Amino acid sequence: MPADLLDGLKVLDLGSGISAPWCSKILADYGAEVIKVEPPGIGDASRRMGPFAGNDPDAEKSLTFLYLNTNKKGVTLDPSTVTGRKIFDRLLGNADVLVHNNPPAQSKELGLDYDALARVNPGLVVTSIAPFGQTGPYKDFQATDIVTYALSGLMYHSGDSDRPPLRNVLDQSFYVAGANAASATQVALFARLTSGVGQHVDVSAAECLGGHLVQPLPYYNYMGAVKGRRPVRGAGFEELVPARDGYVAPSVQGSQPWSTIARLIGLEELQDEKFATGAGRVAHGEELKELLIKGLAQWDRMPLFLASGGNRLVFGMAQDAGDLVDCPHLQARDFFVDVDHPVAGRASYPGMAVRLPGEDITDSQPAPLLGQHNTEIFGQELGYSDQDLISLRQHSVI
Amino acid sequence: MPYSQEPQPPLKNIRVMDLSRVFAMPFAGANLADLGAEVIKIDTCQTQFMDTTRTITGPFPDNEPGKYWWEQGGTFQNLNRGKRSLTLDLRSEESQRMVKELVRVCDVVLENFTPRVMDRFGLDYESLRAHKPDLIMVSNTGYGHSGPWSNFGAMASALEPTHGTGAFMGYMEEGPDGRLLEGQIPNKMGNSYSDFLASWTALGSLMAALLRRARTGQGQWIDLAMYQTGTTVIGPGLLDYSYNGRRTRRIGNRHLVWSPHGVYPGQGYDQWVAIAARDDNDWRAICQTIGQPELLSDPRFADSIDRRRHQEEIDEIISAWTCQRTSYQAMDTLQEAGVPSGAVLNAKQALVDPHYLDRKFFEPVHNPPELGLRPKGYVGRAWKFSTSETGIKGPAPRLGEANDYVLRELLGVDRENMDRLLGDGIIGNIPEGGGAPDQISLDEQVDLGWIAEFEADYLERLPPV
Repeated sequence: MPADLLDGLKVLDLGSGISAPWCSKILADYGAEVIKVEPPGIGDASRRMGPFAGNDPDAEKSLTFLYLNTNKKGVTLDPSTVTGRKIFDRLLGNADVLVHNNPPAQSKELGLDYDALARVNPGLVVTSIAPFGQTGPYKDFQATDIVTYALSGLMYHSGDSDRPPLRNVLDQSFYVAGANAASATQVALFARLTSGVGQHVDVSAAECLGGHLVQPLPYYNYMGAVKGRRPVRGAGFEELVPARDGYVAPSVQGSQPWSTIARLIGLEELQDEKFATGAGRVAHGEELKELLIKGLAQWDRMPLFLASGGNRLVFGMAQDAGDLVDCPHLQARDFFVDVDHPVAGRASYPGMAVRLPGEDITDSQPAPLLGQHNTEIFGQELGYSDQDLISLRQHSVI
Repeated sequence: MPYSQEPQPPLKNIRVMDLSRVFAMPFAGANLADLGAEVIKIDTCQTQFMDTTRTITGPFPDNEPGKYWWEQGGTFQNLNRGKRSLTLDLRSEESQRMVKELVRVCDVVLENFTPRVMDRFGLDYESLRAHKPDLIMVSNTGYGHSGPWSNFGAMASALEPTHGTGAFMGYMEEGPDGRLLEGQIPNKMGNSYSDFLASWTALGSLMAALLRRARTGQGQWIDLAMYQTGTTVIGPGLLDYSYNGRRTRRIGNRHLVWSPHGVYPGQGYDQWVAIAARDDNDWRAICQTIGQPELLSDPRFADSIDRRRHQEEIDEIISAWTCQRTSYQAMDTLQEAGVPSGAVLNAKQALVDPHYLDRKFFEPVHNPPELGLRPKGYVGRAWKFSTSETGIKGPAPRLGEANDYVLRELLGVDRENMDRLLGDGIIGNIPEGGGAPDQISLDEQVDLGWIAEFEADYLERLPPV
């Protein structure tokens, strides 16, 4: 059962891939009823994106699709046909929100631009996510995650300063865009409480990442400095340093004195007073880095991490997918939810980003099979008969 | 209440108490201020307990902290624009009592202390809710308020690999035969990535809570753990382990399916252009654009499987073309041919980028002249509303500028008690203890690798604000 914060809210997800589906998944997890509308036959593009359960490229086994679409209902519908559009308009009439990530030029062609949608339902909040938004010289650019990341200004800072900028993790641009879109959609719903009408929300994925430039930007417009990627020189703190069984991220941040850090790592040479100040660590950076590497090589990740926390230090450690799924802390927070999918099988899925004390969140509904809820939504809710549904299928409307 | 369709800020009747520091929650608060909320930042005059973005983060104008250094920091300004500032000393019982009184007239509280600190101050959710039953509060911590690691502190720089992003990010490494293989060494997006994930998550969850409060009158405590938040954005990677047992995948700038895919050098120092060929059509367009149609019949590059296998050869060919052009020229030429491509912008380029300028993403902010900050562009928001009015309301607040407003107008503290609070050093406008932080010269920062370069004539290169 998802949370009940958005109980009663009806969302149409016309999205494909990551950004809009992630937006509507966030809303679904907060309790909205989300109907995912997919093109008949092929479905959401993420059904063809890997990885796949059992490495089997089946449209029902894409892990990207399975993750992004839990707690939603799924229908297939082609709104570009006359009948399909009629059905679509009835869904629109009942909805509070429509979220999509169609390219700006396509929305108008398909009659899915805001003005057309608002004529059907003036109360509707329409959230359009695009790599560069709905306006401006790049709006019709061909864009993928790496292109969006590049032009946002954020990629320049990822990776090592003596190597090329490095791509982010698993299409992050579109997760950040989806999360922003979920917030902005709700802001428009909040505004609707006083205005009584919906509005259009234009979300640019590149700008979502551009918002992260709160340091690099003033570095330039305050003092002309261009911040680069992370330095390979320096003392090695806040960087990944090898431990016995992987990598750890030692940190000098937090409020503890240097002696606590030196004692934790456990190398006598580190106790030297010359390392005790920030200026000293800069001046003796190379020497310190060597000592740090030597000291941390004697540790395994988890004991170091636990000792750091116990000493009120803020060290991190590099964890992989297995470490996280098996993490005792996340398990103690009931983070993972058990999802049983009729085709892909049962597995532990990451749950919500936040914990909501008092909310009873137990399990998640698996992502819908292609067209799984056609009968429920078109038949039971909109009143189409069995024979109607057969005709609609025959004409590839659903 | 009758509906009003006059354009107005969506959160204009919402008041937020912002007890938070550093990046994640202050930025969430700044966004709430942009949306029209009245955000009261709880500051302090005690320098050692001040938000570190006021004291040490900088950057300062021309790298020189001025007379009012604690108001000047560029990152502080971006993260706290449009807020009000009340100084208190949360260690004192009187300040704790004033926080509780102020909570009565607030809708939302943002805070990011480790759990033990709020408990010690007596300002945990249960205690505050006694004063404001429908309170919505976001408590942002590294690891959350439950579980064995809950009292561990955290900073984004070390937290990022902990929440698993390093498992799916890293350069490829040379194998025994000299060809590139999946990397073993984790890497980071850096730039405090985890903090911003928390900012966006805070906004989404508190908006959901505000919508329910409007419907049912219920409040909500939101236990936001950055560690947990960070794992939600790598969901398919975690499912790859749950279903298939795969733990990591580090393929640099390559793509699992598409090829070529990566960044290629442009003319000039540290300039790059990202290029992605999603299918054979994109590959065809690339070959024609770079003037090498013969590659289309090369069996090494026949389909994406072949191209992935031979991407090193393709990378050399494309690099030879890109390095004779600026990253923008390469991008424009490829985009004209329909190929996904984008210049890897640094902040200097982003500030003058035609698309960012067209969308007015960097919003002009004017500070009082005595702060020595010229009008500057601050980062805006990625959302454009067709009717709601949003925008940066003004600069970050000067220390304690709202002391009178909050204490006298909202809480009704009388003049005599105000004077006493001033005398006790609880309220004020000047930091106590500690001075401006020492700065390392920009030349030295280049040597240390903290910055890539700097330009003395930067002001002439920026568009007028």
